[in-house]
Amino acid sequence: MSLKPTIGMETHVELDTESKMFCSCKVVETDEPNISLCPTCLGLPGALPVPNKKAIEYIVMLSLGANCSITKEGMFHRKNYFYPDLPKNYQISQFDFPVGVEGSLEIVIEDSLHTVAIERVHMEEDTGKSIHLGSGRIDSATSTLLDFNRSGVPLVEVVTKPIISSAKMAVAYIEELRQLVIDLGISKGKLEKGNLRFDANISVAEEGSDELGVKVEIKNMNSLKSLEKAIDYEILRQTKMVQDKESIIQETRHWDENKQVTLSMRTKEGSADYRYFSDPDLPNMVINEEFIEISQNQIKETPEKKRKTLLDTGLSLSDSNYLDKGQRWLYELYLSTVKETFDCKSTFNFLTGELQGQMRKAEISELPQWVNSEKLAGLINLFENNEVSFTSAKDILAKLLIEDIDPKSFASDNNLIQSSDNDEIKTLVTSVINENQDIVERLENPEDKLVGFLVGQVMKSSESKVNPGSVKEVLLKELFG
Amino acid sequence: MTKDFNIDDISNLASIHLEEKEKLKLQKDLEIVLEHVDALKNIDVKDEKIDIHPLSKVLELREDESTPSLSHEDAMKNSPETKDGHFVVPPSIE
Repeated sequence: MSLKPTIGMETHVELDTESKMFCSCKVVETDEPNISLCPTCLGLPGALPVPNKKAIEYIVMLSLGANCSITKEGMFHRKNYFYPDLPKNYQISQFDFPVGVEGSLEIVIEDSLHTVAIERVHMEEDTGKSIHLGSGRIDSATSTLLDFNRSGVPLVEVVTKPIISSAKMAVAYIEELRQLVIDLGISKGKLEKGNLRFDANISVAEEGSDELGVKVEIKNMNSLKSLEKAIDYEILRQTKMVQDKESIIQETRHWDENKQVTLSMRTKEGSADYRYFSDPDLPNMVINEEFIEISQNQIKETPEKKRKTLLDTGLSLSDSNYLDKGQRWLYELYLSTVKETFDCKSTFNFLTGELQGQMRKAEISELPQWVNSEKLAGLINLFENNEVSFTSAKDILAKLLIEDIDPKSFASDNNLIQSSDNDEIKTLVTSVINENQDIVERLENPEDKLVGFLVGQVMKSSESKVNPGSVKEVLLKELFG
Repeated sequence: MTKDFNIDDISNLASIHLEEKEKLKLQKDLEIVLEHVDALKNIDVKDEKIDIHPLSKVLELREDESTPSLSHEDAMKNSPETKDGHFVVPPSIE
């Protein structure tokens, strides 16, 4: 029996607003606990929530960016459950009428494009943070400490349809969604800060079957690496259970990063258990055409658009996707540099390989202001046209990162320009042949390794100022005719 | 117990402890509520516009501006126990 996995992703995106979702407390990023609180986000009786307009604009932008239809007349619901990090004992969320519905995101896996269907995009509020004291193990804590600074921070949940078929695809989807919220400017998108948090719903079913297997929800994956590992582990676990004729129970499991396994947390609540009902404090939310247009006009860039721009320069899909998901300055630098080099591949290789490598080595995260596309294009052209060796190009780049130089003038001032002048090369080659007669006599054919040795000797005598390709050509002609 | 609901599940979800006597009373009350809802379910509403909220007022949004919050001391005032600026509650693991 062949089994296929089906995965649906639920992702929470923390929006980057000045104030919280339903009150005017400042959104703070601090370790100092409980400093940005008011009766509303503390869930004190009688406090009334008033939604943040910017957060609604942001969720409309995200819904549009994920190609969703916008629900014009929506509302907020109360999702009821008891947990200390939720002081009201309900979370204001959306149920029947989410802001965005039926969208899709285009994602890239290696060198191919795929589509992930989005079921819904809805608005809610974040909870507080708990710290469990005791042995360090969450299930044997002696008491729990609560910090409500995060309580009420605007949160968007993006839910895909169950159509993701592998861990790799889930990772590519999260990368795309993360880039979308960054490009839209609506979230910092930092996984390590919890700006994006994801759960995976995983089931396995017989290949070809229309029905899905029993769904297990996996939580606590804090990085793309743990997402990939947790999904792979869970698919294996469920597959083995089905093959052993054991029944899978609908539950929530927790990814244990240390043990690299998923562990059962609790039996999953059905949505009826949350007793959703419309929040009487919040009347209907109307999102009219004008509001949608204002939100639409704020969308300057999406990863999909950026990728198309990159593809248009001639780059492959995977290289385009690499720059699309990388830092903004690198994307912009590539586009302005390739306009002057007209060589997408060598520009991509030089910027992502040499430039980034040297920046890492020099421990600089930002380019000095004098390093611009004109200078980099000049340098790329120098070695692409064989005017300087690749080694020299690397040296010039190292210099450029610490000093405002013109690559071409620097190369000529420092005798780095390679000669392709055949007469000069011929003179050097003749003298090397004369000096190495013993080796020349041992040469059997043009592929002989000793040819390389002789080329090296010519390079040495020229102090690397001649083009090695031209040297080999002249040398072979002299030796073998 | 009727087939429709289990009073223990409901008291559990609501985190309310009920004595046996209370359970019986609430069981009856909730059955009446369900019967009432069943009666509502029989009304033909297919030509009616969905009225999703009891109020006809439309939600007002506020600008994204922050205002001063409660002082840390005031925010913590009602808490029976605090530690290092946190609220302390009993262990909360299911």
